[in-house]
Amino acid sequence: MPVRIAESSSCSTPSQGILKFEILGWHLVSESSEMELIARNLSISDSLTCANSGDTLPPACTLLSIGQAFSGSQNVSSLQKDEAWKVNVRIQGCDLDHGYLCGTMEALNVPFADTPVVTFWEGEIVDTKNYTFFTGKWEATIEDDIRHWSKFPSFSPLLNEVKDNGGRSLNLSNYPYIFMRWKEQYFVNVGVDCGLTIAGFYYVCFSVSDGSIDGFYYDPNSSPFQKLELKSTNEGKSGFSFSSYQLQ
Amino acid sequence: MPSTAAAAAAAAANQPDELIRRLRSGDGAVKLKALRELKNQIIGNRTKKLSYIKLGTVADVVGVLASSVSIDSDPGSGSGSSLIVESAAIIGSFACGVDAGVKAVLEAGAFPHLFRILSNPNEKVVDTTARSLRMIFQSRLAPKYDFSKNENADCLISLLNSDNENVTGLGASIITHSCKTIADQKILSSAGVLRRLITLLNGSLYQREASLEALTAMLSSNSAVISNFVDLDNGRALSSLINLMEDKSPRTRLLASTCLIVIGRTCSSYLQDIELKNKLILILVELLEEPDRVGDEVPFALAKLIVDREDLQRLAFEANALDKLCNFLQRETLQPKRFEGLLLAIAELCSRLESCRSKFFSLKVLNLVTNSLKHDAADVRTVACICLRNVTRSVKKLSAGYFMNEMVVDPLIQLLHDSSNSVQVAALSVISNIVVDFANRKSIFLRCGGIKELVRLSQSMDPTLRLNAVLALKNFVFLADNSSKECVLAELTVSTLVSLICDPEPKVQEQALAFVRNILESGIDSIKPVFTEDGIIINAVGRQVRNALDLNVCLEGIYALGNVATGNELHKEAVMHQILEPQVNGPSQSVLMKFLQGNNSQLRVGAIWCIINLTYPDGPGTSSRIARLRDGGVICQLKKLADDPCLDAKFRVKTALVQCVNNNSCAK
Repeated sequence: MPVRIAESSSCSTPSQGILKFEILGWHLVSESSEMELIARNLSISDSLTCANSGDTLPPACTLLSIGQAFSGSQNVSSLQKDEAWKVNVRIQGCDLDHGYLCGTMEALNVPFADTPVVTFWEGEIVDTKNYTFFTGKWEATIEDDIRHWSKFPSFSPLLNEVKDNGGRSLNLSNYPYIFMRWKEQYFVNVGVDCGLTIAGFYYVCFSVSDGSIDGFYYDPNSSPFQKLELKSTNEGKSGFSFSSYQLQ
Repeated sequence: MPSTAAAAAAAAANQPDELIRRLRSGDGAVKLKALRELKNQIIGNRTKKLSYIKLGTVADVVGVLASSVSIDSDPGSGSGSSLIVESAAIIGSFACGVDAGVKAVLEAGAFPHLFRILSNPNEKVVDTTARSLRMIFQSRLAPKYDFSKNENADCLISLLNSDNENVTGLGASIITHSCKTIADQKILSSAGVLRRLITLLNGSLYQREASLEALTAMLSSNSAVISNFVDLDNGRALSSLINLMEDKSPRTRLLASTCLIVIGRTCSSYLQDIELKNKLILILVELLEEPDRVGDEVPFALAKLIVDREDLQRLAFEANALDKLCNFLQRETLQPKRFEGLLLAIAELCSRLESCRSKFFSLKVLNLVTNSLKHDAADVRTVACICLRNVTRSVKKLSAGYFMNEMVVDPLIQLLHDSSNSVQVAALSVISNIVVDFANRKSIFLRCGGIKELVRLSQSMDPTLRLNAVLALKNFVFLADNSSKECVLAELTVSTLVSLICDPEPKVQEQALAFVRNILESGIDSIKPVFTEDGIIINAVGRQVRNALDLNVCLEGIYALGNVATGNELHKEAVMHQILEPQVNGPSQSVLMKFLQGNNSQLRVGAIWCIINLTYPDGPGTSSRIARLRDGGVICQLKKLADDPCLDAKFRVKTALVQCVNNNSCAK
């Protein structure tokens, strides 16, 4: 589904701009200067090399766990900012050992569609064990991969390593962003003749810090760089709740 | 005599009563003739065997054997040997494939007589007796041979060293039947049995196969004995075994493969070579075509090889094992054993890999597996459930609501009343998966009466049934609408839920708390029911969080409280009370502080989420709660976690602190 939406919605946390206060001798800043915080206090280079032995899987994050919901939009065209579809996402399955994530994506105001269009997608988590930054399928070349990943500011510290071997030698277990590819697999509530396509896939970047998700849709036959922007949502509750299931 | 009269007389003589009378005759020749007639009647005829067993004939035959042994000790008596040969053969025949026969043979005291006869000088006598004993040892009812007794170990070694192939085969069968413990394996290994069994691999087909079975028993789950085996003759033993995987006898190929599987399951280093793994899988897949016993046993061997081994499952999948197994499954006449094995192998293949599950669905055998939930054999019903359990691990299919229909759900619910406990447990495991259903079709399960049955089993005296039933209920209420949740709560009742939260089994407590957590997930309307009956549910949750020693119980509990804290002011205050109250008989610190200061990052994250929800902006009581959290040392502790090594905790701390600071700024 070539889903896209225009402007990003407001941050889920209440503070805007830079909020500073002292905690243990370093400055805590709000998400608007998040990269600054990471560069100064988390140290991206440290976070990439400090866990050479043992677990190299991306960090588990409660905001990216089963049942969690996200809402936002996808712009259909980078030129027409007003043409945007509201999008809701819910995580339905997560298997970090296999670099697997899945869920549904609901596009709300799709032109010519009577109802919201729901698709089921499966995600590949770039953990350098199960999946690297190189897609190797879905008509995506290495150049396509680099071009899309480079759209995420958080990718820039990884670029050189990724160019070499897809980032296979990187250890992302302590990296504050989780990179993924989401591929829609089927339409849940409409037929394949609905006039929409799910031929492409999304390059996705999840922020462990605030649970926001940015994505770029890639389909050689669709307009390029359709941007997906999602925020973790508590669905109107006075806080965040968590549920779970357990497959036997 | 006219011919019709002769035939009638012969028929009368063959009547059981008449035959038994003649067995009891004092005349050796009459007895011998009766034995031969009996032997001819029962060989390969299960019905005849059972009818003679009912008449007590086994005791008569054992009686003949016992008396013949003493006659035979008289030199020059030829008839004694013949009587022994015939009676021993009959005893073996009764024991062959009929449990009642084995039982009758053992009760009649045949065992010591047969063992004594093994030292008889007459080759034919020994041959027949060894064969009969082997048939008895092939039954699970045969007594365990005690290797720890010196005389028994010596006897076994002498059997294995015999020149008679039936006697060596008997020795191997005794090992196969009785070598069950590490101690048994150690005794036999120390006695040099391994080397002798390896020598027998070069013997006749019969010796080779008996030896392979005995080796499998000796090596099973014992890395030390496996190591001895592999080191023998510079690894030639292992090479011989691998070579036998390509023997022309299908049974030898299967037994050699099974032995290698046992080695590989215990010491994976001996089954690392990709070529060897491939070869093993290809041989097993090829053997699926074999008829009879080999074909029956192959799927079990394949299942054993690939269980919990994703690499081997992938290789088996690439070797088209799933296609073949499903193809066999669709054949019309399948014996229960073969059917069970095929279902088990399919289940293991689909246990981890989504590609296998996708293939399974494309092969259109789901209906067949679902139909086998009604199979007469309990083992088949159990394995059908296991197969369904593994294929329903596909979130992709669950998301499409693929399994939530009456055709699948109805027979599963009926199995919750099955007479077999293992069938009930297996059915619960499938139901647990199916009810996750993301397609909002959970009402089908309610309509079919499934919740009523799960609630019934959640009160079972059997902790396994109780655990699995509560787990299924938890999965059902995951992302369910509020009306479905209310139905479940009404059926379960508050008092039962509280008793499950306080169940003697920590695993049941954990699932009950996870159930509460899921119930509470969808906002104020879902939280209200938990506050009925003077809040006994939240009090029970709080008690467990404060007092439980089990990590998972604490984890589910703190998340349940965190979900309550997404409610209104009353709900948030109730949570404050539960998590700031000092622990009973413990240190004066609150459980919230205990979790924040603890080593477990998951508990820290759960506790931080609780704080985030309690300090969520814009609530009228937020400032007061922040003040009380500060007084309780919580805010100070949060600041200490600002550089938590767990990224999730670190960033959630940031959110909590930002909320607290913002609230203070607004208050000023």
